[in-house]
Amino acid sequence: MTAIIQTQNLSKWYGNVLGLSDVTLEIEQGITGILGPNGAGKSTFLKLITGQIKSNIGSVTIMGQPVWNNYPQFSEIGFCPEQDSFYGEMTGWQFLTSLLRLYHLSSTEIEKKADKALEIVELSEDKNRAVRSYSRGMRQRLKVAQSIAHDPKIIILDEPLNGLDPLGRRKIIRLIKEYKGEGRTIVVSSHVLPEIEAMTNQIILIHQGKIFAQGDIHYIRDLIETHPHIISIRCSDPRQLAQKFIHHDFVLKVNFGLKKGVLLVETNSRDKFFGLLPSLFVENQIEVEEITSPDDNLQAVFDYLIGK
Amino acid sequence: MSPSFKRKIGFFAKSTKDVFSFFFSLAKKSRRTKIFFILSFLPVFMAFVVKFSQIFQLSRDIEGIYIFNNMIIAFYLQFLILILALFYGSSVTSEELEGKTLTYLTTRPVSKSAIIVGKYLAYTALIIFMVTLGVVFSFLVLNLSELRSVSLYKILFRDVAVLALGLMCYTAFFTFVGTILKKSIMFGLIFSFGWENVIQYFPGSTQKFTIVHYLKSLLPSVSRGRFSFLLFRLEPSSTGTSIFMLFLIAAVFIVLACVLFTYKEYILKD
Repeated sequence: MTAIIQTQNLSKWYGNVLGLSDVTLEIEQGITGILGPNGAGKSTFLKLITGQIKSNIGSVTIMGQPVWNNYPQFSEIGFCPEQDSFYGEMTGWQFLTSLLRLYHLSSTEIEKKADKALEIVELSEDKNRAVRSYSRGMRQRLKVAQSIAHDPKIIILDEPLNGLDPLGRRKIIRLIKEYKGEGRTIVVSSHVLPEIEAMTNQIILIHQGKIFAQGDIHYIRDLIETHPHIISIRCSDPRQLAQKFIHHDFVLKVNFGLKKGVLLVETNSRDKFFGLLPSLFVENQIEVEEITSPDDNLQAVFDYLIGK
Repeated sequence: MSPSFKRKIGFFAKSTKDVFSFFFSLAKKSRRTKIFFILSFLPVFMAFVVKFSQIFQLSRDIEGIYIFNNMIIAFYLQFLILILALFYGSSVTSEELEGKTLTYLTTRPVSKSAIIVGKYLAYTALIIFMVTLGVVFSFLVLNLSELRSVSLYKILFRDVAVLALGLMCYTAFFTFVGTILKKSIMFGLIFSFGWENVIQYFPGSTQKFTIVHYLKSLLPSVSRGRFSFLLFRLEPSSTGTSIFMLFLIAAVFIVLACVLFTYKEYILKD
């Protein structure tokens, strides 16, 4: 698959403060989650790839074109900024139609697209109210609406779920997943791990302006060889299974879970562990109900990587 | 002219028109416009007061055109157009930065130059309309008994044209100032009521470094009334030179503002 967004040695600093350091990566079609704590450099990265700011070193290209001052490209890009800022004297409808006018569309097209975007984010009923009277969640949805209204191929969303209630979050997450199905490229940032996890497995971890890891969550998890993987097994005889595991050098620790019949195994080699598992079950006639990896989520990966 | 250049010009004109209509409709509803609209109508209110006092013989009968001339010089030329141009011109960039709305504009398929030119034209058109309305109403009220005199309308037309040229020029200058300086209002006040008011009275060619020099050169050299000293000119430029210079100044500062806005990096504080 060809990269839609490419950065090469991208670095940005604000005076003496480092914003982003030596970032080289490629973002392909689908959903890519940018994850990191507040101040990690996520917004700086998104501002750089949308040409809001200039890099001090390095380059950014979108579909092979440089992005800084390349305004025709923005016909294909939708950007939802993090800032909760609007032209407060406008209504939701005026805000959307005014911005759509900048795409040089006909009045009919503008109205059609604005209506559709407002319907998607469920703001149709409130479209004639002043934006300043909107709740935080409604403003957030309006920001998302302005980023998708012109039907872009690339959608870049900076903390799009901020200020949304659980229902609103679910709807936006569903929308983002739908867009992925339509073959678009979506880059979404968040400092809330389950949010990203709910949208994609493809992540970029940013911390202190640097890329800690990039790729599929499982691939990233495998990169961290020094940290043990925890695997939870719910079976008919956890005691017997524990006895069998303890003799292997790749099994570091065995614990019994709080729930009955659950065994927690720490291993430094997932491949060897899963290679052994079927034969142990068969030979000892142990019935397996569930095998899960409780730390195989973004929170765990993130904590390991930043050394928590 | 090559077809690609023609296409670029066409696209720029369309973008500018779209930005213009965006900000013209936004600005006409803004609270700031309502406040300045009231301010620009103060002379109309004053004109009514003067007319009523004349009708009821509370004051001596002074020619309407005489009061009108003083009003143009003292209030419009030396004060209102400077204030309007300063607040609207400098806000072309600064309101986008302070309101953190710049991102909405710079992530659209319009050039940064089109944003500057479109907003500048929208704000200039709005303030010219605002001032023209105030001037025309003041004129009508003050000259109620002489409305059949054609020569008076020539004066009205000339004064409106001079004020419009002044607004065009000062707004362009303050648009440039707003793109380069964070605290443009303070600088603008010093420029408007310091530099412009002082340097215009310097002898030789120094006075030509003010915009007001060219504006005053378009007004008659002799004026009666209490504020006629404000119209005092040392060495006025010719009408042709003045009009050329005013257009040139406006064009130069708008081009500079466009270049600066295109290449300068604006960082919105989180």
